[in-house]
Amino acid sequence: MQWSHKETIFEHEILSPLVERAMSFLQEDLEIQVLSKKVDIISPKKVKLKKNTAMIGTGGSVQVLVTMGYDDELLSKVVEAFLEGEEVDEEELEEIQESVSCEVVNTIVGNALKNPLDGTTLGITPPILISEAKSLFKQKSSQIAAATIITEFGEMLLTAVGPKEQFSETLNFKEL
Amino acid sequence: MLNILVVDDSLIIRKNIKKYITNLGYSIAGEAKNGRQAIELCKELKPDLITMDITMPDMDGITAVTKIREFDTNVNIIMVTSHGQEEMVVSSLKSGAQGYLLKPINEEKLLQAIGNIYAEHLEDEDDELLDDELIDD
Repeated sequence: MQWSHKETIFEHEILSPLVERAMSFLQEDLEIQVLSKKVDIISPKKVKLKKNTAMIGTGGSVQVLVTMGYDDELLSKVVEAFLEGEEVDEEELEEIQESVSCEVVNTIVGNALKNPLDGTTLGITPPILISEAKSLFKQKSSQIAAATIITEFGEMLLTAVGPKEQFSETLNFKEL
Repeated sequence: MLNILVVDDSLIIRKNIKKYITNLGYSIAGEAKNGRQAIELCKELKPDLITMDITMPDMDGITAVTKIREFDTNVNIIMVTSHGQEEMVVSSLKSGAQGYLLKPINEEKLLQAIGNIYAEHLEDEDDELLDDELIDD
């Protein structure tokens, strides 16, 4: 993929459909009210990820990393919706939360992302958790786009980071 | 009663699919977290039906279906995917799956996917019976 006009591609072709799908997923599938009427997509120099964040990578000609992070209360409500009223014990809850975080990013990215160049399907990697509080810093050759969706139970932070090969599995920048 | 093997790397999806299977009155043969485990359990448990996730670590669902088809041509397989696009579904069906289920999953979608496969089977059996009757006549 050519990275000219990359900010436009990152904001409009990558993050914008993800934000739209995330909003509809929260509202229609999970019945969590989204308070944001309009979500601004920004290209920050630095972004602090939330504690509960899952990440997924795309493959093929468009290599980006997408992260999705939640405030604690929002994650609890998302988990509650996935459990459909089923009770789980404390021991299992943490594992369920991690699984739900990963599943949401998997579903949203899978549903929403297509190759902006030709509209074909983008392959996705299995999602992983970013278990430490982390900040991402934009480097000269990298791009970061971020958007925050505000819900009745707190925020969801979405970021698109790329090119993927410049970041490690724990989102550390790699000097190529 | 249908005996179903659930294959997905996601704990919550395995949990939910197992719940739907039980609610629908079917039986759970077992569960696997990746394609490799799925192949082993398919040999061991001989399920009637498998729900198979596509994107999994270690071995993805499409590869697993191809390998299962090398030793089992009878088991029915429903692919589970978050990809709403045609390519993944087409690859899955080419690899030997009979149906697919798009995430997010619910009980109704699962029932419909199972119904689609078994309705086709019943139609096939009806056609065979009809053919036999015609031959007999």
